[in-house]
Amino acid sequence: MSQADLAVGGHTPAMEPSPFAIPAKKLAMWLFIISDVMTFAACLTAYGFLRNATPDWPRPFHSSTVISVMVMAFILISSSFTMLLGVRAAKADDRPAAFRWTLITIAAGIIFVLLHIRDWAGMVGEGVTLFKNPWGTSLFGAAYFSVTGLELLHVIAGLIALIIVGLGYQRGRYSSDDIENCSLFWQFINIVWMFVVPLVYLLNVAN
Amino acid sequence: MSAAEKPSGLGKYLIVYLCMLAIPALEVVIAYQNIDGPRKLLGMLSLAIVGALLGILFFMNLARERPRLILFVAVFTLFALATINYGWTDSFRLLVGAPFAK
Repeated sequence: MSQADLAVGGHTPAMEPSPFAIPAKKLAMWLFIISDVMTFAACLTAYGFLRNATPDWPRPFHSSTVISVMVMAFILISSSFTMLLGVRAAKADDRPAAFRWTLITIAAGIIFVLLHIRDWAGMVGEGVTLFKNPWGTSLFGAAYFSVTGLELLHVIAGLIALIIVGLGYQRGRYSSDDIENCSLFWQFINIVWMFVVPLVYLLNVAN
Repeated sequence: MSAAEKPSGLGKYLIVYLCMLAIPALEVVIAYQNIDGPRKLLGMLSLAIVGALLGILFFMNLARERPRLILFVAVFTLFALATINYGWTDSFRLLVGAPFAK
């Protein structure tokens, strides 16, 4: 029900107008993202502190890992672009196109997750676990798996949300606003990855 | 953006997309430069912040929202980051002794 509907008969609206002229769900998503910024910032700050405080912090990432991380960055940034196209199609009421772009985004996200797991498997293969690694700095594994694991968890959560909302949108259960809200979260994941790449990987490339 | 609104051209978003792709590539170039750690960190973080701003303003469409929302997001995010930054002093106190406790 719109504000105009509520204001019929010369009465003032029964509800306060939205403070930022956006739907309540979108505002809630922005608030969630801001709170999630705190989570990631705390995690990355703690990681930065550990790295700074440890003189012999390992530099285990070879060029093969860097290439893999760059491919992952390319996939995630491209998926952000396809998600943007999906939102634009949804706003233009082009349901098939919006669904198609959402599916492409989901496919890219799945590829990212698989590459991420492959990257983890490589590290585990080198003997890195949460509390042990071949280089002796016991906290390296915990820090590495925590930061990248939090990112991976967000990507998986974003994928689940995209699948549910994308399918619901196709069936008419969800609106373009819901696609836009999912897109906000997906774009946020991409932005976080832009900080994870330099801090976790590129500052620790093997010489 | 209201429902069924005709979206504007894609050119601007394509440029932003290409810039965002270039940022990790530039970070790799910095990673293999023979410069000291703090300068490396500064260069990479600067690029990451530029990428994040591009993503927030264009891919999250914050640039098209009302200035009040932009201000709200900026203030609260910076507040959150500043609050975490406050913890650094205590971290260094733990690291180098207790200079602030005396």
